[in-house]
Amino acid sequence: MIFWILLAVMTGVAALCVLVPLARAGKAQARADGSADEAVYREQLSAIDSELDRGLIEPEAAEAARTEIARRLLAAHDKNEQQHQTTASGGRLKAAQVFALAALPLFALGTYFALGSPEEPDQPLITRLSAPAEGQSVDVLLARVERHLSENPEDGQGWSVIAPVYLSMGQPQASARAYANAIRILGPNPEWLTDMGEALTMANQGLVTEEARKAFEQAVALQPSAAKPRFFLAIALGQDGNIEAATKAWEDLLDGADETAAWVGVARQQLAQLKGVPSHESAPNGPSQADIAASQDLSAEDRQEMIRGMVNGLAGRLASDGGSADEWSRLIRAYMVLGEKQKAEEALAAAEAAHSDKPADLSLIKDTASSLGLSGS
Amino acid sequence: MTRKQRRLTLIGSAGAVLAIALGLILFALNDQIVFFQSPTDITQNTMPAGQRIRLGGLVEEGSVEKSDNAQVNFRVTDMANAVAVTYKGILPDLFREGQGVVTEGVIGPDGVFVADSVLAKHDENYMPKEVAEALKDQGHWQGGEGEAN
Amino acid sequence: MIVELGHYALVLAFALTLVQCVLPLWGALSGDDRLMAVAPPVSVMLFVLVLISFVALTVAYLNSDFSVLNVLQNSHSAKPLIYKFTGVWGNHEGSMLLWVLILVFFGALVGFFGGNLPKDLKAATLSVQAWVSAGFILFLLATSNPFERVVNPPLEGADLNPILQDIGLAIHPPLLYVGYVGFSITFSFAVAALLLGRTDAAWARWVRPWTLLAWCFLTLGIAMGSYWAYYELGWGGWWFWDPVENASFMPWIAGTALLHSAIVMEKREALKIWTVLLAIFTFSLSLLGTFLVRSGVLTSVHAFATDPARGVFILVLLCIFIGGSLSLYAWRAPMLKQGGLFAPISREGGLVLNNLFLTAACAAVFVGTLYPLALDAITGEKISVGAPFFNLTFGPLMVPLLMAIPFGPVLSWKRGDLHAASQRLYAAFGLALLFALVTFWLWGMEKVLAPMGVGLAVWVMAGAVSEIVTRVKFFEIGPKRGFARLVGLPGSAWGTVVAHFGVGVTVLGIVTASAFQEERIETMRPGDSVELSGYEVTFDGAAPRRGPNYTEEVGHFTIRKAGAYVADLDPSKRVYTARQMPTTEAGIHTTGFSQLYLSLGESRGDGAVDVRVYYKPLITLIWIGCVIMSLGAVFSMADRRLRVGAPKPAARRKAVQTAAAE
Repeated sequence: MIFWILLAVMTGVAALCVLVPLARAGKAQARADGSADEAVYREQLSAIDSELDRGLIEPEAAEAARTEIARRLLAAHDKNEQQHQTTASGGRLKAAQVFALAALPLFALGTYFALGSPEEPDQPLITRLSAPAEGQSVDVLLARVERHLSENPEDGQGWSVIAPVYLSMGQPQASARAYANAIRILGPNPEWLTDMGEALTMANQGLVTEEARKAFEQAVALQPSAAKPRFFLAIALGQDGNIEAATKAWEDLLDGADETAAWVGVARQQLAQLKGVPSHESAPNGPSQADIAASQDLSAEDRQEMIRGMVNGLAGRLASDGGSADEWSRLIRAYMVLGEKQKAEEALAAAEAAHSDKPADLSLIKDTASSLGLSGS
Repeated sequence: MTRKQRRLTLIGSAGAVLAIALGLILFALNDQIVFFQSPTDITQNTMPAGQRIRLGGLVEEGSVEKSDNAQVNFRVTDMANAVAVTYKGILPDLFREGQGVVTEGVIGPDGVFVADSVLAKHDENYMPKEVAEALKDQGHWQGGEGEAN
Repeated sequence: MIVELGHYALVLAFALTLVQCVLPLWGALSGDDRLMAVAPPVSVMLFVLVLISFVALTVAYLNSDFSVLNVLQNSHSAKPLIYKFTGVWGNHEGSMLLWVLILVFFGALVGFFGGNLPKDLKAATLSVQAWVSAGFILFLLATSNPFERVVNPPLEGADLNPILQDIGLAIHPPLLYVGYVGFSITFSFAVAALLLGRTDAAWARWVRPWTLLAWCFLTLGIAMGSYWAYYELGWGGWWFWDPVENASFMPWIAGTALLHSAIVMEKREALKIWTVLLAIFTFSLSLLGTFLVRSGVLTSVHAFATDPARGVFILVLLCIFIGGSLSLYAWRAPMLKQGGLFAPISREGGLVLNNLFLTAACAAVFVGTLYPLALDAITGEKISVGAPFFNLTFGPLMVPLLMAIPFGPVLSWKRGDLHAASQRLYAAFGLALLFALVTFWLWGMEKVLAPMGVGLAVWVMAGAVSEIVTRVKFFEIGPKRGFARLVGLPGSAWGTVVAHFGVGVTVLGIVTASAFQEERIETMRPGDSVELSGYEVTFDGAAPRRGPNYTEEVGHFTIRKAGAYVADLDPSKRVYTARQMPTTEAGIHTTGFSQLYLSLGESRGDGAVDVRVYYKPLITLIWIGCVIMSLGAVFSMADRRLRVGAPKPAARRKAVQTAAAE
């Protein structure tokens, strides 16, 4: 409401700025004006006198200047005499008043309604962040906690609250940092250490890094029976290519495990894989000679799995770093071989987008697609 | 002096000053203008050695070599051809491998471009406009034009 | 609510400018007092409204209200308060709002303080000012509305470009804008005078304070911008002949010419046609500058072609205002009567000479700035017109002008005596010659132009001083009466002396800083030293440091002269974390008027860094001279004769008379 009142006040004052002089000037303007230029010339005359007094100009120059200015003064005077009768017509006045009273507010309000958003309130960051938590989006809550933490960076509890939120929102890096802060302030705790390790692992696309491994080891040291950190440590050993140790770790973990736990299946699968595969070095990026050799020995299912892993690796790399038209074609072909038509189509679209500016590459990709029975966009 | 003579003096001196100005401008436009060239232009045309030019393109990845006394050697490429550049001085903040650059100088007798200035601008999105357009011609760059503020 | 009130205030201001466009002008042309009386209160109200809207936007910035698109795109909640504030005009929409604010501010000044103006001229001037304001408010509302809202705003905004997070940004654009938008009021006066047929000596007197005000701010704005570039860009240059710089420099040159030709018009009623044309040109160049900077043509002619909305809008405004005023001029100018006559050698002649050279210089800058754009747009050929072009054209045109400066004020009006005038300048000439010879003796043939430049600068400075000293016959009447007379001189006389002296100071700074600058570029390891102009600069090592929103690598240097400690300097290379953008912070040590300037280059590992060391003798004089010039404008504005109409304080008048009588 107060908004509309202020709007009206502004409009009213603006209209008055026009109306008041219109009404008043008619009466008060009897005073003779128009002598402004005469005043200038008189001043110039007196300036010449004072300069002459101080000997700044020669007498004859002063005399010449004086005649010149006097001539101007007379001319101005004559002109002002002539112009002095002002013409005031009622019609003009009425037109002006209508203009101010009706056209001004109508035009202003009309334009404002077309451009403005009167129903939109101000949203200063402070008030948005301190509004009641009910019905707020996760973003707002998250920002509020973040703000709180940036002002009170030593609030360990706060960090521990926000850490899992980050993880669930797909920000593992931030989550790991928050866990690290919580641990730094409130001391180590096996759950936080484990979650931090998990976050770090997620941040590295499933690779258990040195940092993550340390976190898991610390968690195990604090609580030797905990399954989750051990599970990740076993994965880490597998990733390092340390088959023997990994096998042992999985066996230890499965020994006396609760068979209903969700991870048990994965653990068994991992163990089976390790046992079926002779010692080799893990190659996260591309298949090595050994990989290919190994794949000959695998069962059909396992081979499918391995190919899928490689394809996913390729897809991830192309998505993040881009690649040549050849590589994209290979990916599309691989998806078709694996029977994933939808993914193949997605890859095709991505490839076309990535090479839209290179006609030669584009036609190569299109050829591949049409040979596989796919139609590009 | 009569009125006419006065007017003639005024017009004459105005004409003289304007003629001098025009002469200076034409002379300077003839002599002091620097043409923009891409590495391809340079390799294709045989520019007379000693002619000042502006060379623009991308700093070739891995080509930047620094030696002592603030001497820097690098190559400027437009993805088709590359020209070796040598420069003594402080590189601008935004000079990076793989980024756009405009250098001004002359081509030495050995074909190495001796730059006496290397340009950078205020904005990290800024691509010198000549470079952007030259690269577009080559089809190597797409991206938003930096908004001018 | 505040944001929307600001938006409404801007819309209402637009509606009110339309009223102002019509009523007062109609009144002035038909001689209706009541319609003319509308102009002053409306001009003040317009300012109030635009101020409300500017304050509303500022509040949105200070509160980080990201529901405003403009705030969202240009601010960040973690930004220091001062930069939230300066961020208001650190972007396109906000800076255009500031532009409009200054437009209506000058209108309000004339409405409020223009009591000495005849009613019809005042009404018509304010009307014309409203035309310009209406055009630019429409531009804001239609293409660059700063009050656009976002329905579900994110919680964090983009950042302000770190290089703009500097106190230089806080002061520089407002000063520059007050200057170059200020010339709008001179333009409005000129158009109003043409409409009313009021181009006479009195008109020139009335316009003078406004021209001076705008010129004063523009001078300061340009100087400030130059100093900012000098310490922030880290390559020690203080003027780059960059198109953006030229955009503000051209109105300055034209404005300087205008100030001088208006004197002739005021005193002798000559050069009327020319002065009015200059008033139109000056603001046209301001508009052109705005177009160049705001439309994006400078980034790329083709960028302009792909997103033309804003550029075309300004271009249309440009055509309407320049084309309209020039057509009006072409129609009205032939009706103007010739004014007073003068001999070629006279004060008027000197001022004409000044105008000739300034106009030619302005034309040279104009060609150099626009030729590459035109060539690119027409033929697609890319060229660059850099400092060599401007040095070769602008420089030679300035030399005769500088030589002539001291002669102007000593020549008498109408018919001057060059011989008598020269006699008054013997001392100044002797001094200039002495300085030139000393410079030559110190540096020899190595730098031939430098002694001439130094001599020229001294000539301008000494000429200004000796003019005023001989004018009051200081040495003939003795110091006591001499001082009394000096103090009694009108403000405009002091203004001339001070401003001309400032020109000399700036020229001296430019000559010495460019001719005698010493420069070393070295790769230094901790413990290394370089010798430069008698200073020994020792690199003590580099260390990282964290700032509020950046990290930096700071180099520590110790400066010694003849073994004695002088100062520590810490130049650094910063990286702003939010945008990962590097900037260079120079280390500057000022001794007297000279500066030692250090900037860091790349680190080379093993603790070595590239270091650029400059010794720039008397460089600060460049900016000090500009400040002195604007001080001259202040003196001139303070001249009581400019406030004709107001009764003069009787006591002061008496004091002057008694002083004169002694």
